[in-house]
Amino acid sequence: MSDRFVYVTYISTTPEKLWQALTDAAFTREYWWGMFLESDWKQGSRWAMKFADGRLNTTGEVLESDPPRRLVLDWHNEYNPELIGDGPSRASFDIEQLGEMVKLTVTHEAQPKLLESVSGGWPKVLASLKSYIETGKPLPNPGNCAAAREQAA
Amino acid sequence: MSSQFVYVTYIRTTPEKLFEALTKPEFTRQYWYGISMESAWRVGSEWKMRFSDGRITDTGEVLEYDPPKRLVLKWRNEFRPELKAEGFSRCVMELEPAGDMVKLTVSHSMERDGSKLVEAVSGGWPKVLSSLKSLLETGKALPEGK
Repeated sequence: MSDRFVYVTYISTTPEKLWQALTDAAFTREYWWGMFLESDWKQGSRWAMKFADGRLNTTGEVLESDPPRRLVLDWHNEYNPELIGDGPSRASFDIEQLGEMVKLTVTHEAQPKLLESVSGGWPKVLASLKSYIETGKPLPNPGNCAAAREQAA
Repeated sequence: MSSQFVYVTYIRTTPEKLFEALTKPEFTRQYWYGISMESAWRVGSEWKMRFSDGRITDTGEVLEYDPPKRLVLKWRNEFRPELKAEGFSRCVMELEPAGDMVKLTVSHSMERDGSKLVEAVSGGWPKVLSSLKSLLETGKALPEGK
């Protein structure tokens, strides 16, 4: 694993709610633009992330699971031909309670191409997650906004 | 031969409101733990940041001022001697509208390897910008985490 992307955000919530938001398909669908996660979230289990229409996005193994504090996922892209087989990749989620808020640290170790992709993706997903938890309303997908602007232009 | 920290976040607001929140003391005090920003906000003007008790935290010069799109600050820490000794860093704030939200990119850099100032702001910006996002979206900033 050549490099890593680290993103920290602070959310007004509890570790238990944040854990649920990260692992429960009903939650991820809301803020991750229809994407949903499937697993029993036990160490050694498989996990999968799917698009709203059921196509596979990412799969892997649950490497560590310590709810509601730490989750480590082995991470293989399954849909982008340029990223499939791009070597080992791993995403870690660390959740730390600080009074009435929670510090979430996402660390993604990956080869350069996948790293570039997830470095753009995590800030969008985690900004939408924070908005969803704090206001009940997720953010629109910035990719779609850009597409809409191009269409309008 | 340089150190850089980059942070991107998306906030449901307008570029105008976000730019105001980044530069007006009545806003910064709310989400930046009492810290206020002072400047005439013209290219070449001085800027200062103060704790709520009046002590100066950081100072510098406005290098670029293009509301509501871009702000570039020459930036030196004033209250931690080991950081002040590193001299001036550069902080670029870019605001880009995306539908009913704004993409905010903060890049803070210094022409020196292993900069302690860049290390310090790498811990600070995520707290400050998370609190700013909460304030603009919910009307309430985040508490100061211990």
